[in-house]
Amino acid sequence: MRLPFTANPHERQLIPDGRFTGPMPWVMAIMLFLSLLAAAAALALVHAASQGSESLSRQATVQILENDPGARLSQQQQVAARLRRQPGISDVNIVPESEARALLEPWLGDVAEDSDIPVPALIDLEFSATPEPTRLNALRKDAARIAPSVRIDSNAQWLKPWFDLVYSMLWVALAIVLLLLFATAATVALAVRGALNTHKGTIEIMHMMGGTDLQVARLFQRRVALDALFGGALGLALAVAVILLLGERIAALEPGLLSGASVPLYGWPLLLLIPVAVTALSMAMARWTVLSTLKKML
Amino acid sequence: MQSVAEFDNVGLRYGTGAETLTDVSFKLFPGSFYFLTGASGAGKTSLLKLLYLAHRPSRGAIRMFGEDLVNMPRSRLPGFRRRIGVVFQDFRLVSHLSAFDNIALPLRIAGISERDLAGPVNEMLDWIGLTERASARPATLSGGEQQRVAIARAVIGRPEMLVADEPTGNVDPDMALRLLKLFAALNRLGTTVVVATHDIHLLQEIEGAQMMRLDKGKLSDPTGALKHPPRPLVLRN
Repeated sequence: MRLPFTANPHERQLIPDGRFTGPMPWVMAIMLFLSLLAAAAALALVHAASQGSESLSRQATVQILENDPGARLSQQQQVAARLRRQPGISDVNIVPESEARALLEPWLGDVAEDSDIPVPALIDLEFSATPEPTRLNALRKDAARIAPSVRIDSNAQWLKPWFDLVYSMLWVALAIVLLLLFATAATVALAVRGALNTHKGTIEIMHMMGGTDLQVARLFQRRVALDALFGGALGLALAVAVILLLGERIAALEPGLLSGASVPLYGWPLLLLIPVAVTALSMAMARWTVLSTLKKML
Repeated sequence: MQSVAEFDNVGLRYGTGAETLTDVSFKLFPGSFYFLTGASGAGKTSLLKLLYLAHRPSRGAIRMFGEDLVNMPRSRLPGFRRRIGVVFQDFRLVSHLSAFDNIALPLRIAGISERDLAGPVNEMLDWIGLTERASARPATLSGGEQQRVAIARAVIGRPEMLVADEPTGNVDPDMALRLLKLFAALNRLGTTVVVATHDIHLLQEIEGAQMMRLDKGKLSDPTGALKHPPRPLVLRN
């Protein structure tokens, strides 16, 4: 197998391959596996967050906290009619009382269906764009003329901590990927230094016969590239299996914040790029290590 | 006439130890044959290391092929090393390569294609009598066979200068003579040959050879032990 920037078949004989026998390919596979999982998690979270921000953050809920059931129903109808006339609101949906009571069932059980317990009248709103707090405040003041106890809660408000968390986790995931890449580069440097020491005699002979540092570097670049390719392929296969398995589990969840947490289509080429990037990084690191070490020899 | 190598007041010390070579000055001329003699520890190998560019001197000036080597950037050394063939005292064959591949090594490093190098390597194997053992690894070769492979490796690139450190130390007298004749043949083709040896009998085998004698790191005048008195060396001091 001839790789770019690597030695020809006869030059290769100078440094016996010995790949798959040392720990390097396996360490690479573990590093790649962890990097890919971290990157996939970041991509999935961003995908989930962007889906959430697309739909959920444009929604708001109007609550009318009126004890008198008749007044509550009347105010609900009037407020809904008024909101329908407002610009920028694409959909106004009155939530039936039975649905509102059903929402309480997980906390209150069957008691929630008891009509004696007052349940807020709910109206779901969908805006054409994520509403600003000032806009919501203006709407609330307007609706308060009909229903003084009205409250309008934007989904974006309660989603904000979730998005903040998602974006924090994205940065953490990116930091993990970078740290793993750094660890991979350090592993390559250590392995190459060890190999240089092992093959010091051969390298000295090459030098004495007019071999250049680049010729020596090419020998090590090839070894490292093969180790990285093997480790990358193994790490990628394992990571893809885990990602697909977790994706199936997430898909089986009830619709919610995590339901969109899957690697988007555009994410797969990015994930495939990671082993390629690691191979390139490893080769560059091997070259740099060899050249900087040989510089100290005559 | 431009010299192949010119040493001027060269000193060499390893680390902070005493000088191994002190005030060494001489010129080697193209097409000449030199024996370097001296007792063990006199500095013969150190002098050869300077000649084949394994070390830079601690002081003094060295010019090789007309260029200052002391201040030459490292990146230019490989080009000069390809002009020098070296026979190491301990052979330094690459243990995992066959005899064929060891001999082919300088040609491969120089970028000669496989098609072009097979002929000369097989010819060389034939000459040293190891055609049958072309695929043998050094560990399976006798000391003498290893030495012949090392010599073949040193001369296959037709170097402008051949530096040999005790090249006949592990071979029988007949083979020693054959090797010396190879060196003489190369010398006749224009290669400057420097052979370090303590075998006084060898010195008499090459007509016209000159002798340099090292004594405790210093170069002394020829001893006159040669059957054919050497041409006067260009010695300074």
